Amino acid sequence: MTDLIVIGSGPAGLAGAIAAAGTGLRVTVVDEFIRPGGRLLGQLHQEPSGEWWNGIKEAEKLQHEAHALGINIRCGVSVYNIETAEAGWKVYTNEGVLEAPFVLIATGAAEYPIPVPGWTLPGVMSIGAAQVMTNVHRVQAGRKGIIIGANILAFAILNELQLAGIKVDRVVLPEKNAVSRQAGEPEAVIRSLLNAAHLAPSALLRFGSRLMKNETIRNIGTRFYPKNGLKINGTPLQLRKAAVEIIGTEQVEGVRTVDIDAYGHVIPGTDRLYEADFVCIAGGLYPLAELAAVAGCPFEYIPELGGHVPRHSETMATPLPGLFVAGNITGIESGKVAMAQGTAAGLSIAKQAGKQAAASGRQLEQAIEHVRTIRQQVAIQFHPDIELGRSQMNEQWKAHEGTSVQPGEKIG
Amino acid sequence: MIENKQLIICRCEEVTYEQLQSTARQHTCSARELKLRTRAGMGFCGGRTCRIALDAIMDSFIPDENKAVIPLKYQPPIRPVSFGTVGGRHD
Repeated sequence: MTDLIVIGSGPAGLAGAIAAAGTGLRVTVVDEFIRPGGRLLGQLHQEPSGEWWNGIKEAEKLQHEAHALGINIRCGVSVYNIETAEAGWKVYTNEGVLEAPFVLIATGAAEYPIPVPGWTLPGVMSIGAAQVMTNVHRVQAGRKGIIIGANILAFAILNELQLAGIKVDRVVLPEKNAVSRQAGEPEAVIRSLLNAAHLAPSALLRFGSRLMKNETIRNIGTRFYPKNGLKINGTPLQLRKAAVEIIGTEQVEGVRTVDIDAYGHVIPGTDRLYEADFVCIAGGLYPLAELAAVAGCPFEYIPELGGHVPRHSETMATPLPGLFVAGNITGIESGKVAMAQGTAAGLSIAKQAGKQAAASGRQLEQAIEHVRTIRQQVAIQFHPDIELGRSQMNEQWKAHEGTSVQPGEKIG
Repeated sequence: MIENKQLIICRCEEVTYEQLQSTARQHTCSARELKLRTRAGMGFCGGRTCRIALDAIMDSFIPDENKAVIPLKYQPPIRPVSFGTVGGRHD
């Protein structure tokens, strides 16, 4: 018998399972990957404090804690459907149907690529795939790579590839079009990177960040952005070049680029071909909310959180009885925020299940407060207006409070 | 605008930008209808790879759909499973 099924063994799922099991609930965690940890497994970076964040170590810590509490972690288990049951939820997996009164969906985020001509060639991968190859499987993605797309995720992983001694030749932008939109505009890219100035890849960006908040200076900065780019530990960041095609017959052989102006318009006659044997496309992340949609949870569209997000409260409850969410499914944020949200969700579930009602009430408040504190402290902030997105969700939750939602009502 | 009309958007079903564009023009259809006519987003990965790109492209053809509604519906099974699994066999 299980009281709670947690879907996803990343930071949110494991923290949620641990918090719930700590109050005496029986918890089963399922994950489709071969080992627990989720995206923690790929993470390796130095905090602004100088301390190293080793995601594999963090995942192991959580896993040990979970085992000590008797949590059953089942890896290699894919959930393909979820439905209401007589008392709670039925979770359909490739290893059979699980049933429990409470479910925590902590499926995290998925990457979205920006399609580029030639992107179906072998050797083209998402930036996250390069991270998994490098840090999880310890496989070298190639001898010389080019990253298409300049965003926080790309820089974090560029740094990891460099640490592993893998050569990244350059970072260029995708060509501006209906899909890439602002990711193809140097001006917009600089603006978004400046919001993460504390982890800015170069002294110039870091030094200039306060100055560059001024629009006029920023425009001048974009216009005079060095043609060869600024170097990030030896890798040029070429914001004024766009990838127009990935070249190769059997596999990646190079990337054709053009020069672009501050708004992403192509400057004619500037074609160049750069050799490479692998290409990473860094589009971005979006909340992986398939199961919440299938369950019939209502959604809100909040770009600051990464797009369509299941409606939820600060206690991580959805409008559907017994169904909770935590982590990147609620909005794209750092793994540390996900962990804090997981704890809040676990305690929230324990409270509803009637475990240590009085104590966990207070604990729950503290856990919610902790989510806010961590959000302000984290080094990696994916969206500059995350706080705005969070308060929009809270408003939506309050606006709909008390209206009943029928589970299983198909959304979308 | 996407210059290269042969650019594949949905890899699983090999749907090009041109197919999406001409279908949208010909039928002035909703995002859902465009999906059903071209099969974009309906392949093996369940649209997990191209969903965001498709949303953006469809929005560029037919803007101003209700944003609170997910343009492309999610349906079980959300992962590829065998008929045996769906039928309750787990060996």
